[in-house]
Amino acid sequence: MKHIEKGAGLATAPRDFIRDLNADNLSAGVVAGIFGLSAGVIHISAGTAAGLPQEFTLLWVISYLMINGLFGLFLPAYYRLPLPIANSIPGALLFAAVIPLVGLNEALGATLIAGAIALVVGLAGWMSLVMRLIPMPIVMGMVAGVLLKFGTNMVMPLQNALLPASVMILSFFFAARYLRRVPPLVVTLLVGVGYMAFSGADFSSVTLSFKLPEFIMPTFTLEAFLAYGLPLALILVGMETPAGVGLVKGMGYKSAPANAITALGGFGTMVSAFFNLHSTCIAAPMTGICSGPEAGSHDKRWVAAVIVGIIFITAAPFYGFVFSLIEAMPSYFIAIIAGLALLRVISSAMHMTFSGKHEVGAMFSFLIAVSGIQIFGIGSSFWALVLGAGLSMLVEFRDFDFSRKSAPSREAAASAR
Amino acid sequence: MSLRQDASLSAVTAGFVAVLISYAGPLAIFFQAAQSAEISTQMMSSWVWAISIGAAVSGIGLSLWLKVPVITAWSAPGTALLVTLFPGLSLNEAVGAYLSAALIVFAVGVSGTFDRLIALIPPGIAAAMMAGILFQFGIGVFTSLENSPALAMGMLTAYLVFKRLFPRYFLALLLLAGIVLTVLLEGASLAGVSWQLASPEPIRPEWTLHATLSLALPLALVSLTGQFLPGMTILRGAGYDAQARPILTITGLVSLPMALFGGITTVVAAITAALCTGKAAHPDPGKRYVAGVANGVFYLLGALFSGSIVLLFTSLPVTFVALLAGLALISAITSNLSAAAAEKGHLEASVITFLATASGVSLFGLGSAFWGVTIGCAAYLILHRPWRVEKELTRQRQAAGTARH
Repeated sequence: MKHIEKGAGLATAPRDFIRDLNADNLSAGVVAGIFGLSAGVIHISAGTAAGLPQEFTLLWVISYLMINGLFGLFLPAYYRLPLPIANSIPGALLFAAVIPLVGLNEALGATLIAGAIALVVGLAGWMSLVMRLIPMPIVMGMVAGVLLKFGTNMVMPLQNALLPASVMILSFFFAARYLRRVPPLVVTLLVGVGYMAFSGADFSSVTLSFKLPEFIMPTFTLEAFLAYGLPLALILVGMETPAGVGLVKGMGYKSAPANAITALGGFGTMVSAFFNLHSTCIAAPMTGICSGPEAGSHDKRWVAAVIVGIIFITAAPFYGFVFSLIEAMPSYFIAIIAGLALLRVISSAMHMTFSGKHEVGAMFSFLIAVSGIQIFGIGSSFWALVLGAGLSMLVEFRDFDFSRKSAPSREAAASAR
Repeated sequence: MSLRQDASLSAVTAGFVAVLISYAGPLAIFFQAAQSAEISTQMMSSWVWAISIGAAVSGIGLSLWLKVPVITAWSAPGTALLVTLFPGLSLNEAVGAYLSAALIVFAVGVSGTFDRLIALIPPGIAAAMMAGILFQFGIGVFTSLENSPALAMGMLTAYLVFKRLFPRYFLALLLLAGIVLTVLLEGASLAGVSWQLASPEPIRPEWTLHATLSLALPLALVSLTGQFLPGMTILRGAGYDAQARPILTITGLVSLPMALFGGITTVVAAITAALCTGKAAHPDPGKRYVAGVANGVFYLLGALFSGSIVLLFTSLPVTFVALLAGLALISAITSNLSAAAAEKGHLEASVITFLATASGVSLFGLGSAFWGVTIGCAAYLILHRPWRVEKELTRQRQAAGTARH
């Protein structure tokens, strides 16, 4: 366990939580929580597209919130870092698509193996090595590429819902400029909800229901592992964790525990396999919201991630209700909120991507991540990192740390830590 | 400094690739417009003759005169407008509207307002808009990787090898390698192409209120916002102190006679201009104007054999053109994004500009380049514009920033 980074511990966490709670991290946590809840819509549409039964899809989303929420409560509290936990969206799309082909229990068996792989990588401490091999501009290029869609989706509503979209976006700009105390996102949320209520949004479809996650036994087949388990393991280790860790580090948390996040994601994914869920891992977009300047004072942003966990666990059994409520809001509402919430993250990611070093690798990483191509069933984020780093080694090898004399001393310092 | 001395293979190739991309890409929209107008192939060849001559004459003239790579083309957003208007609009009405639009562009050029407008756009926002426009072409490289992996991998490898070993001639080499690969892998056939001289056919103009409102005014507007604005921005961004006044005036004047043969407004190119104004054309900015001249010369050839040339370029596989354009533009995208990211002072406004432009949002018939700049400038004014007291603070911060660099 020597590679697992030590954190501040859980003993004083509840007291510190109360102490560090403020308007900024509360609003960031709530926004990230709402963002995470809305991600359930992706699961539901993926499940429907794959022809999965309605009751399974709801069970899947409830497990997502409950299991991910529990892990999301403890990891940020233990490390006092903004590390919200959710699951892999590319993994979710892969999961939904593979169930009709290999069966649910078999898919979950592959999930279990993928989780075990991630756990071993984390425990063995290979994560830091992977992170050093793939330099920051290339990782940030991938992150910027993954997040870009949220940014462009924010602009698209101007086409169909010009008035509410421009009211919401302008309210964000003005609040960011003139209301220094109130987080601009809260203003935008209130303005948006106010507008919806004023324009007579229909809330009659909202219904209340209560449901808990259910236990299921995974089974193992080779084809399920190859079609989905191996890609999922690569996604978890090569993409979700670097994306999340890259974001947190980019926000100035240099000590982000890459090994622990990988190992815990692996363990969480293994647990997920018993509850109809495809993965547990650090959530890049929510990390962006919780670790960004919107979340206020730097050493208190961890509270936002804990709030996400609380929101997830609380909302899980009632997700049927939450889902119908989210459905009541027009889809552009969530698109705009998410885009604005991620604006500064996208900005700083792009600034770091094009800061000079690894220019070619970073550009390719960015373009590949945006293009969303899939090769061998593995999503673009993975290829962005691998091809970006590979091309960078070909074209601009001198930019790599280990191409310089100082490399051995860095290694020594890293292992001593 | 004569043209002969300044000429280089890289500049000529850049000019050629720019023409190739224009013919293989945006021309398809013009074809679509022709189809909805239900005109003969003879007439179509006359249209292509007219837009090619317009681009050739204005491009060669302006590049030689200003010693700046002025890449001209026809108004691509204008042709998109045409698709929606035909066949409700008669050819005569369209030609009348072309003439009016050319006069508007000419008048705006003479007045000099365009230069003042462009000078108002903050540098980061201009660079972000350019990156946003070119962005789709960069993405195209990787979507091709999914459609035709062999060709894409081959051209990507060729790009990396040539870029590493022969950066001066990478575009020419890439073009050759791409054609060889296309013939070998995709089995592209040029059998259907025969040589034929173009025969322009004049059309009598006719002015109606309907055509003025639905075509002339929007055409002038989309040409100014969708072509001249990014085109001038890219020239400025590449470090040329080019004025819009002569460029608008000349292209407006050239458009007039060409309109009579069915040529839509001649404008400054945006996407292909990025090819000829950057390092890919020539390491020395003072010698890149040759690319503008070459671009014009190849348009002239295109005009002479308009029917056959067009057939030739449109018979190239779509993937090949997408790959060539994307790979040729990657360094332009990178330099524009770097320029936008370097302007720390208004980074968020630049990112919004980039997002809005790249999103392809379209509103009131105006394209995303215009909305990108508009939204970006609004964000700049609200978020970053230093007012009174803050002005002093920002100045101090900027001073600290430059000291650090």
